[in-house]
Amino acid sequence: MLIQIILIAAMAVALYVTWRRVMQNVIRPAEALGWSVVWVGAALVVLAPNITTRLAGVFGVGRGVDLILYASVPVLFMLVFKLFIQHEKMERKLTDFVRREALKGMEKHDERS
Amino acid sequence: MKVTAVIPAYQEGARISKTVLAVLPYVDEIIVIDDGSEDETRLNAWREGAVVLRHGINRGQGAALRTGNEAALKRGAEIIVHIDADGQHDPISIPQLLIPIQQDTADVVLGSRFLGGEAVGIPWSRKALLNAARTFNAFAVGVPRSVTDPQSGFRAMTAKAVRMIDFKQDKMAHCSEILRLVTRSSLRWQEVPVCVHYSEESLKKGQKPWDAARIAWQLFLGAFVG
Repeated sequence: MLIQIILIAAMAVALYVTWRRVMQNVIRPAEALGWSVVWVGAALVVLAPNITTRLAGVFGVGRGVDLILYASVPVLFMLVFKLFIQHEKMERKLTDFVRREALKGMEKHDERS
Repeated sequence: MKVTAVIPAYQEGARISKTVLAVLPYVDEIIVIDDGSEDETRLNAWREGAVVLRHGINRGQGAALRTGNEAALKRGAEIIVHIDADGQHDPISIPQLLIPIQQDTADVVLGSRFLGGEAVGIPWSRKALLNAARTFNAFAVGVPRSVTDPQSGFRAMTAKAVRMIDFKQDKMAHCSEILRLVTRSSLRWQEVPVCVHYSEESLKKGQKPWDAARIAWQLFLGAFVG
């Protein structure tokens, strides 16, 4: 089916870009490995959608699609939380910068007077 | 001992002169941190004789206090007093905060509104909120219940204590964080009664009931940021 071809191509591109970023020292190999598991797992699900239904049965969920939806909630929650933490770290760096400038201003003023 | 008052101020142009003049008789030096105000805060504080530092952008009361602490230490402060800019904290209580440090019986002295001192004009809703905050501080933050005022920003610390209390919260959660750090450290601390005056203006600008949730969230995030 066309949709399967498009999705598989997208996963292949994602896999290629992930490892290219490792070569460029943008991300660590361990991180790339984690993402590779995601992309390959997604490709397997696209190729054989019955996998999710079988997995859903193991977890006691009716349909494979439902399992994916349920699983995506904590994953999205974790990603959003990670963003919050990164935002907080940025805020603190910004505060440090603002503080350094304020203290420099005081020292300059003291030198002049 | 050189006593320095640190006053964080944001948009306090109308009140900062009065506060600086009222605090001046009790301390050797006043440092005002203008936290990115767009009014006359900086100029008015400077005119009354305060050393003024300016945050280029607003970073919050906790951040301003930390900047003030660093400035005070650089200028040789031996005791640092934190006091609000809005006139809510009555400077008449400063000597009470200083006595235990001067007598070498405490390193940190926390002002409390609930130890018999006056809390003039405190609304019942604020009282209830502070009681809830006390319980929250005990269970979630680990501050002993013996601390009667969970959100007092009126305190005095020795220079050694200021160096030890490495608080990171930029915004309102710094009060709980300071209490946690102080009560878990080897520092000697005690609470003393202080006078606090609530006015319509200070209540308008002060913390709101829903800020409690924000403080809890900031403390939660802070636990992961380190």
